[in-house]
Amino acid sequence: MTHELLNGLSSAEVEQVRKLGTRLIVPSGTSLFRLGDPADRLFLIERGRIRLTLPMQVRGREEDILVEERSPGQTVGWSALIPPYRFTLTATAPLFEAEVIALPREPLRQYFAANPAAGHKIALNLAVVIGHRLQLFQTMWLREMQRTVEVRSA
Amino acid sequence: MEMFLMGLCMSVFGLGIAAVAFGAATRSESSDSAVQPELPLVKAVAPARFFSDRVAAPPAVPVAVSPRQVPIEVLLLQIENHVRMEQAAAESFLAFPTQAMLHSKTTSPFVN
Repeated sequence: MTHELLNGLSSAEVEQVRKLGTRLIVPSGTSLFRLGDPADRLFLIERGRIRLTLPMQVRGREEDILVEERSPGQTVGWSALIPPYRFTLTATAPLFEAEVIALPREPLRQYFAANPAAGHKIALNLAVVIGHRLQLFQTMWLREMQRTVEVRSA
Repeated sequence: MEMFLMGLCMSVFGLGIAAVAFGAATRSESSDSAVQPELPLVKAVAPARFFSDRVAAPPAVPVAVSPRQVPIEVLLLQIENHVRMEQAAAESFLAFPTQAMLHSKTTSPFVN
């Protein structure tokens, strides 16, 4: 499987990066990480789906509201590479268990330092992932704002 | 003869008392009914049932269901569907960014 984070890397480089990680099974309904947790690993999804949620007050109760759902080949938990290294969302496996490769920050940084060309490609891939999220949420925010403006000016 | 007359007098006297008593009894009955207030009409009593059907009876006036009464599970599902629809709309805009795509109206029931 080709992961978005490892696009453009040679198969040998892909293998080296994968060896830095640990395979984890996320049972259905359990959290991979929670909002506010220290982020010291990012995750490549191998199998299953991961729901990213944010807490919202609904009728006085705190409910996890879906923000995004990620599938095999995609990346979650890139807060592990961005200060202050805290997760800003909660990630859970919804209906079925998921399998991920957990890549710890420090070994990954050491690999980047030792293999700058591969590190550069991974950094560019990460920029695409983060940029896409930014554009997506910017658009969604603007659409919600537009609706609020229409309601208020009606 | 005296005995016969005495018995006859006693019989007549007893008959008189009985007549007076009967008259008094019938008079009090008619006067009672004259002053008795009119009773309200009693509804026809439904046959007795083991399970009351009062709950199942539809209300006389239809009650409007406010959004507050939507079960929270349904509300959460509506929010989730809304997020998915908005994300799809945002993805479409990013794939082909135009002002029309950006401001395309949502059909999400959560906001309509």
